[in-house]
Amino acid sequence: MRNSIVGFIFLAIACVPGQRDVKFQQYYAEGEVLYQQHCANCHQADGSGLGKLYPPLAKSDFLEKGPEAVLCLIKYGVEGEMIVNGITYNKAMPGIPSLTELEIAEIVTYILNSWGNTSEMVEVNQASLILDTCSETP
Amino acid sequence: MKLQWSSVQAAVFGTVLLMACGNEKPLPIFGQRELVGTDTVYHTIAPYQFVDQDSAVITNATFKDQIYVADFFFTSCRTICPIMKTQMLRVYEATAEMPDVKILSHTIDPEYDTVALLHDFAERLGVTSNRWHFVTGVKDSIYKIAQTSYFATAMEDKSEPDGFIHSGAFLLIDKKQRIRGKYDGTKEAEVNKLIADIKKLRREDAQ
Repeated sequence: MRNSIVGFIFLAIACVPGQRDVKFQQYYAEGEVLYQQHCANCHQADGSGLGKLYPPLAKSDFLEKGPEAVLCLIKYGVEGEMIVNGITYNKAMPGIPSLTELEIAEIVTYILNSWGNTSEMVEVNQASLILDTCSETP
Repeated sequence: MKLQWSSVQAAVFGTVLLMACGNEKPLPIFGQRELVGTDTVYHTIAPYQFVDQDSAVITNATFKDQIYVADFFFTSCRTICPIMKTQMLRVYEATAEMPDVKILSHTIDPEYDTVALLHDFAERLGVTSNRWHFVTGVKDSIYKIAQTSYFATAMEDKSEPDGFIHSGAFLLIDKKQRIRGKYDGTKEAEVNKLIADIKKLRREDAQ
């Protein structure tokens, strides 16, 4: 009896994220497809980057800057030196202006929740507000 | 009893056959061939002269008695080149203990990819010039050798996203400067085959 109660509670807890995450799962799945298409060439499917050419997105201290920096970077790109995990990278990353705000939100949700990264999801209205503020280079 | 005997005979026959055919099938030799007297003359890589990331002059003689893998790329390419470099890095690592195997990457954007830039690129990739040469040179010479010697596509095309059209091929060249394999350098499975073929080619050389 006691075991079954514990089991029930355990199940209930396990199911909560599943309920909450229908939207998250949708963003994540779309984000993964878009990531493979637009980002994985350089940053790799596992987010490990490539040597000192392309910085990692997995275990990357750049992501500690929060979703704002990542959103703006995807939209507008970046040039010049960038230090990630103590290593100086210096290859230009072109922005992808053709991506919609929803698509960028999906990619960022995917990146921020893959390869050991954990974060909140970034919803499209949030992305929209942030993207309005990042006209200058991040 | 009769049946048993025949299976033993089959086994013996099979073993004999296996011993006779023990030599593995050699890799193909690509390109046109002609018969000169009694000798078959195969397609080989035409003479070239480029400069690598250390400003060293690279010619056919650089790869004398060497097997090498060639490809065509450019450093500012965002489409297939990073994947090719990820895969070529696998070749580089897989051949670390093979002193007779080298890599030759040609830039098809020599105006942008200077010696200094290629030096930086190789360093950032973490590879050394004694095993992996990144070469630049006269643009037309690079395009010509790509098309006519390596049978690889490389040309400028302003309508392409990065301004060039080129194949992601990796070419396996033997010690006689002949093409022995062509692989899609963007596909992991093909590059696995390339790595296996390099070993096969070395066994052929050892015979």
